[in-house]
Amino acid sequence: MTTTTMPSPALLTEPGLNTRLRWAVDDTITMTRRDLLRTARQPEMWTFAVTMGAFFLLLFYYVFGGAIGAGTGVDYIQFLVPGVLVITALNGAQQTGNSLAVDLSEGVVDRLRSLPMNQGAVLTGRTIADTLRNTLTLVVVAVLGYLLGFRFSNLGAAVGGILLAVGLGFSFSWISAAIAAKVRSVEMVGMLSMFWLFPLLFASSAFTPTAQMPGWLQAFADNQPISVVADAIRALGDGADASGLILGSILWIVGLTAFFGWLSARLYRKNA
Amino acid sequence: MSTNQSPPIIEVRDIRKAFGDTVAVDGLSFSVAPGQVLGLLGPNGAGKTTTIKMLTTLLPIDGGAASVAGFDVATRPRMVRQAIGLAGQAAAVDEKLTARENLDLFGRLYHLPADQRKKRTEELIERFDLTEFADRPAGTYSGGQRRRLDVVASLIVDPPALFLDEPTTGLDPRSRAEIWDAIRSLAAQGTAVVLTTQYLDEADQLSDDIVVIDRGRVVGEGTSAELKSSLERDVLEVTVAEAGSRDRAAELLNGDEVVAIDETTLHLPVNRPADSLAALRRIQDAGIEIADFQLRKPTLDDVFLALTGEPTA
Repeated sequence: MTTTTMPSPALLTEPGLNTRLRWAVDDTITMTRRDLLRTARQPEMWTFAVTMGAFFLLLFYYVFGGAIGAGTGVDYIQFLVPGVLVITALNGAQQTGNSLAVDLSEGVVDRLRSLPMNQGAVLTGRTIADTLRNTLTLVVVAVLGYLLGFRFSNLGAAVGGILLAVGLGFSFSWISAAIAAKVRSVEMVGMLSMFWLFPLLFASSAFTPTAQMPGWLQAFADNQPISVVADAIRALGDGADASGLILGSILWIVGLTAFFGWLSARLYRKNA
Repeated sequence: MSTNQSPPIIEVRDIRKAFGDTVAVDGLSFSVAPGQVLGLLGPNGAGKTTTIKMLTTLLPIDGGAASVAGFDVATRPRMVRQAIGLAGQAAAVDEKLTARENLDLFGRLYHLPADQRKKRTEELIERFDLTEFADRPAGTYSGGQRRRLDVVASLIVDPPALFLDEPTTGLDPRSRAEIWDAIRSLAAQGTAVVLTTQYLDEADQLSDDIVVIDRGRVVGEGTSAELKSSLERDVLEVTVAEAGSRDRAAELLNGDEVVAIDETTLHLPVNRPADSLAALRRIQDAGIEIADFQLRKPTLDDVFLALTGEPTA
């Protein structure tokens, strides 16, 4: 047997700050690639994921469309598509927790933690990969919405509206990651989402205008992130002044990402 | 394989770990030189995996100290991670990725430059005979192939220290032999290996030194030959015909050293072969039917039994 002793570059020298920053970026790209490659290898999963939003849209449009549209007197497709964009983004974000829980329970994470990689890259790689996939799903929804008669006021509004939904999905990916880092079981992650995501979704303007809700609930519903983003996208569709809602959306997205990013990194380190 | 005089790569002094009130590792010490394979042998729950997790920075060490490649595990975990390879009990390769992609992933996460990563990946595939399935997703592999990839993946940088936690548990004999070959060739090239196992023959085959642990403590250590010769006495193994008469037979063998191996089998160390005749006669005179018996030289199993008071799996 030939013994090949290879030089191990930078193996036993303490990396400086610059090197560590470069590694953090490289590792995040590596983990994002890995997660995207995994997704690409499961065509049944990603086709389902990518068409999920379109499925929501068709379901709402044809099943509830008549009733809700007639009852509220709004142009239903203009109301519906932003709502579906938001719901789709949140649905895609749930995948982050599921995949992370699988990695945590199968020993993959233990293995990764023994490597000299940036440990945060396991989480950021995951959320970025899920967000990229989510972006594709959201574009599919927007295109289908266009075919059904939905219009953004202009191209810039279209890009901005989709980006807000993507951003909301990204911030909710971190909530999902934090929950997975805490409970580490796919079943628990799924069950818990019934307790926090569903109420949050229904007590929002995603499905129906908040006007008929009782006052206390309406106050909450109008200001929570899902509604703010949905309303911002609606404003971008109608060509109304969206600046306040867009600012509110960005504050929510940045705030949620910062807090849950910090929390999930902490829980991941502590419990792994 | 030889144990040489180089300073140890892995040094462990009196490390401890408790989970709540349960003490998992209770003052373990050993050292491993370059090219040496140390076998950590013990029953389930002995503290083997906990020890590996502490030495690979996955679990904080409660007491004592350990260093790998000169870096303190508690204070320089980042440097330790650059110096180790780990293959845990769960084969943690990515099932959706091929062997080549898995090796490339690990190469990237060890921050190898692209050209070396490619070169090394091809080298490992060839050397460890992964060619036939190198481009299939790992999810399609047999248990042995997956384990082999798992062990090989930890070698992408030629780490000075390699930790293998029960690398052959659940594998068929052929796959075990393949992993053993891989471990031997690594050691021959200078890697310090710590290997945990429940299998005595594995420790016997691979390890230069064996540390037998039970309930988190060292209960015996030495080379396989030393451990065997520590039991100078022969072993009498008696199998009674009916399970119900085993305990009665154990009484008749009248020694504190009698150990029940299963429902009908007893082990007794004997000083002289003639002692076994007397022992057997006592059982026979009591009207207990003996299905089988043998007198033999001690094996590592017997050493294990004598040290831990329980038979291995």
